[in-house]
Amino acid sequence: MLKRLLLVRGAELLLFALLAAIPLVVTSSYALGLLTLLAIYGILLIGLDVTVGYLGQVNLGQAAFLGLGAYAAGIAVTRYGAGIPLALFMAGGLGTLLGALLALPALRLEGPQFALATLSFTALTATALNELEWLTNGAQGLSLQVPPLLGHALSKREFYWLCVLAFAAVWLAMRNLLSSQWGRAFEALRDSPIATDAMGVGTYRHKVAGFAFGSGLGGLAGGLYALNFEYLQPQGFQYELTVILLLGVVLGGRKSLWGAFVGATLVALLPNLLSSRFLFQAFSALGLAVALFAGLRGLARRTLRPFQALAPIVATATLVAGGFLVQNTEDWRKAIFALMLFSVVVGLPEGLMGFAGRALAALFRVAPPPLPPPAPLDEVLPPHLASGAPLLVLAGLKRWFGGVRAVDGLDLTVRAGQVHGLIGPNGSGKSTVVNVVSGLYAPTAGALSLRGAPLPQGSLFQAARSGVARTFQNLQLFSGMTALENVMVALRGAYRVPLPLICLGLGRGEERRAQAAALALLDFVGLGDQARTPARDLTYGAQRFLEIARALARRPDVLILDEPAAGLAHPDVLKQVELIRRVHQRGITIVLIEHHMDVVSQLCDLVTALDGGRVIAEGTPDEVKRHPRVIAAYLGAVEPAVEPAAAPPAPPAGVPAT
Amino acid sequence: MPVSFIVQMAVSGALMGLVYALVAYGFQLTYATSKSLNFGQGELVMVSAFATLSIMGTGLPYPLVVLLGLLFGALLGLAVERTGVRLALEQKSEGWILLTIIIGLFLFSFAENVWGRDDRPFPTPISSQPLNILGIDVTPVELSVAVGVLAVMLLVEAFKRTTLLGKAFEAVSADRDASELMGISATRTVMLSYALSGAVAALAGILVSPITTVGPTMASALVLKAFSVAVVAGLESGFGVVVVGLFLGALESLASFYVGSGWRDAPGLVLLILALAVRPTGVFGKAVIRKV
Repeated sequence: MLKRLLLVRGAELLLFALLAAIPLVVTSSYALGLLTLLAIYGILLIGLDVTVGYLGQVNLGQAAFLGLGAYAAGIAVTRYGAGIPLALFMAGGLGTLLGALLALPALRLEGPQFALATLSFTALTATALNELEWLTNGAQGLSLQVPPLLGHALSKREFYWLCVLAFAAVWLAMRNLLSSQWGRAFEALRDSPIATDAMGVGTYRHKVAGFAFGSGLGGLAGGLYALNFEYLQPQGFQYELTVILLLGVVLGGRKSLWGAFVGATLVALLPNLLSSRFLFQAFSALGLAVALFAGLRGLARRTLRPFQALAPIVATATLVAGGFLVQNTEDWRKAIFALMLFSVVVGLPEGLMGFAGRALAALFRVAPPPLPPPAPLDEVLPPHLASGAPLLVLAGLKRWFGGVRAVDGLDLTVRAGQVHGLIGPNGSGKSTVVNVVSGLYAPTAGALSLRGAPLPQGSLFQAARSGVARTFQNLQLFSGMTALENVMVALRGAYRVPLPLICLGLGRGEERRAQAAALALLDFVGLGDQARTPARDLTYGAQRFLEIARALARRPDVLILDEPAAGLAHPDVLKQVELIRRVHQRGITIVLIEHHMDVVSQLCDLVTALDGGRVIAEGTPDEVKRHPRVIAAYLGAVEPAVEPAAAPPAPPAGVPAT
Repeated sequence: MPVSFIVQMAVSGALMGLVYALVAYGFQLTYATSKSLNFGQGELVMVSAFATLSIMGTGLPYPLVVLLGLLFGALLGLAVERTGVRLALEQKSEGWILLTIIIGLFLFSFAENVWGRDDRPFPTPISSQPLNILGIDVTPVELSVAVGVLAVMLLVEAFKRTTLLGKAFEAVSADRDASELMGISATRTVMLSYALSGAVAALAGILVSPITTVGPTMASALVLKAFSVAVVAGLESGFGVVVVGLFLGALESLASFYVGSGWRDAPGLVLLILALAVRPTGVFGKAVIRKV
C-alpha cells in the first residue's frame, strides 16, 4: 500500500513539482514559452485521449475545439472585458457544449465515418472563424491583452504557474474519473457496445458525455492558449494541427495520462528539435538504434511480423540518411514527423508510455489495493417472493425480417418466480424472441409488458433499465476488464455521486461498496477467487458463469438465459444447472433457452415450444416432450412418408441466425 | 438575377462535382474489398498530378503521359496498401486510419520539397475556349472532366461484372472469409482495389489540374468534399456518388455566390454531418441489422 503510494503518486507529485520549479532556475523567456505550451498541450491531449484512447475512436476535431476555446476566451476578454476565470469558463463551456452537439450525431458512427465527421467539423470551424469577421476579426486576427487576475497583473512566469496548476487539476480530475464507474463504462463500451447497453449502462450517453468532456478540455486549453499568445488567427487551428495532436496522443501512448504528457512534450518541443541539425542527427540515430534493437529482437523471438520489425528500421534509417542529405530540416518537418510516427505506430502500437509502462510495471511490482470483504448476499440480491402472478406478457408478438417471419404472432406469459423454458429447433424464433424482449430489435407488431406496464421497445438500454437482464449465446463479456469489473460495471443503483464530485475524488466510498457487492455476486457464482483475472483469461465455463453474475448485478425482475449450457463440458453443465437453481431459489424469474433437454427438464416449471415463429406446445417439460407436434418439429413427421417432401426453400440472405 | 446565370453556375459547379465523385469512387473501391479507405487520398491525387507534369516535361505524347500518370497512381496506391493498410487489416484494427494519414503527411511534405510550394499550370491539348451549348458556356476542358469521370467509372464497373478477376473482386466485397475458402486471395484482391483506387485518384488529378493548377494544397479541399460525397451517398453505391457529386458541386457553386466565396466549402461539410446524423449508412446505402 505504502509502496504504491510512494511510486505511483510520488512520480506524479515529482513531475508537477519539477514543472513548477523549472522557471525558478531557467529564466529565459523562450524556455518559459515552451513550458507554457507544454502545459497547455498536456490539457489538450488529455482531452483528446478520452475519445482516442478510451472511446477508441479516431478524433480529428480537437484542433477545432482548441480554436473555438481560444476565440471564446479572446472574444470574452476583448468584447466583454471578462477576467481570466470567466474567460476560461467560457472557453471550456463552449468546448463542452459544441462537443455535445457534435457528438449527438457523430457518435452514432464508428471508425472511419466518425473520423470524417470530426474532420469536417474542423474544416467547418476554420471556415467559420475566418468568415465571421464581425465576431472574430477574420483573417486579420484577434489581439487581446491578459486581464489581471484578482487585481494582480500576471507576469509570464505567474501565467505559466497558472497553466501548470490547470494541468495538474485536469490530471487529477481525469484520474478520478477514470477510476470510477465512468472509466469502467468507457472500457466496457469499447469491448462490447451491445452488452454495455444490455447491462443498462448506456453506450451512447457515455460516448456523448466522454466526447463532450474531452472537447471541454480542448476548449479550456484553447482559453489558456489565447491568453498565452495574446493573438489569434484562424489558420492556426486546421487539419495539420489536428493531425499532429492526434499523433501526439498515439506517440505518447493511448489511455495514459503520462502518455498525454509525453506526447505534449514531443509536440511542443518538436520544432526545436528540428532547428538544430546536430540534435536531429543524434535523435534520429537513437531512433534507429531502438528500432534495430527492438526489431531484431522481435524477429529472433518471433514476436513481431517481418513487416512490423523492418518497416520502423527503414523509416528511421531514412531519417538518419535525411539528416545528412537534406539542406534544411525545417522544410521537411512534416515528413520527419510522419516517419517518426510511422515507426512508432507500426513498431510500438501502444506508444512510448504504453511500452515504458509495461517495462516499469515488470520492474516494480506494485500490488493493487486490497479488496473489501464481500457484502452480504441478501443486500446485493434481495430474495423475491415467488408469487406466480403474470410478470412478463407477450401478446401477438411479431418480428419480420423482410419476408422472413422469424416470430409470427406469439403469445407468452411468464409467471413471477418460475423458470420458463423456451425450446424449439434451429430457426424456430427463440433467439428473435429474446432479442425483441431485451430490446435489441423492435417488434414488427404486438405488445410486451412487464409487471403490467408496457416494456420499452427497440432499446437494449431502456429494456435493461426496466428490469430485464440477459446473457448471450455468443459471450459478450467485457473481455479486457477483470471479472470484478465486469460485475461492477453492471451494478444497478450503486452509483449516485454526480460527475463533478467524482472528478474531485469524492466517489471512493461508493466505489468500495460497489466492489463489496460485486465480490458477493462473484462468490455466488463461484468465481470469488478469480476477481482480478481478466475476463478473456477465464476458462470458457467460468466466462458463462461470469455472464450470469453480471446479469444478476442488474437485480433483474426477469433474467433471460440464452443457451447458458451451450458448449460447456459435462461437469460445467452440472455446475451451471446448480447455479441456475440457486438463482431461482432467490425468487428471480428466469426465461431459459436451451437445447440440452435434460437441463430443461431439471430446471423448468413450464416449457413453451416454438416452431416457425409460433407456439406449438406449452406445459410441463414432460408434457411438452411427448407432444406430437414437438416431436414432429424436431424429427419430422412420424407417419410413414408417402412421397419425399420437397426441399424447403433456403432463407434469403441477411436473416440473423437463431 | 437571370435564370440562365444561375443555371450556368449550377452546371459548372456540377461538372466540378464529378471530380469529387471520382475521388469518392476511389474510396468506394477500397472500402468494398477491405472496409478501409485512404485518408491520404488527396495527396495521391496531388502527387500523381505533379508526377504527370514531370513526365510531360520529357516531351512524350499526351496519351502516353496520361497512361504513365495512371500507372504511377496505381503504384502509389499499392505502396499505400503495403505500408499503411495491410498490417492493420491483418490485426483487424482500425490502425489504417492513422497510418494512411501519416503516409499522406509524408507525401505532402515530399511534394512540397521536391516540386515546390507554388502552384503551377498544367498544360493540356484540350482547348479551354468556351462553347455555347443551349445558352450555357462550357469549356471543352470541363467537358473532358465529365467524359473522363463517367467513362472510367463505367469501365471499372464493367470490369467488375464481366471479367473473372472482377467477379473475385465482388466476391471479396461480399464476404471476405467465404471467398478465401473458395480459393480467392483476399490480400491480392485488396491490392488490386488499392491499385485501381490509386489510378482513379491519378485520373482525378490529371483531369482537374488544367482547371485548378497543380500545387501541394490542390487536393486538400477536394478530398474533404470527396469524403462528404462518399459518406452522403453511402460507401457502397457507385451510382450514388455521381448523383451526390453533381448535387454538391452545384450546391457549393451557388452557395459561394449567394453567401460568400469563403463559405464555398461549408455546404459539403454541413451535408456530411447532417447525413451522418440522419442516415449513417448514406442516402444510397443499405441499413444493417445488428446481430448478437
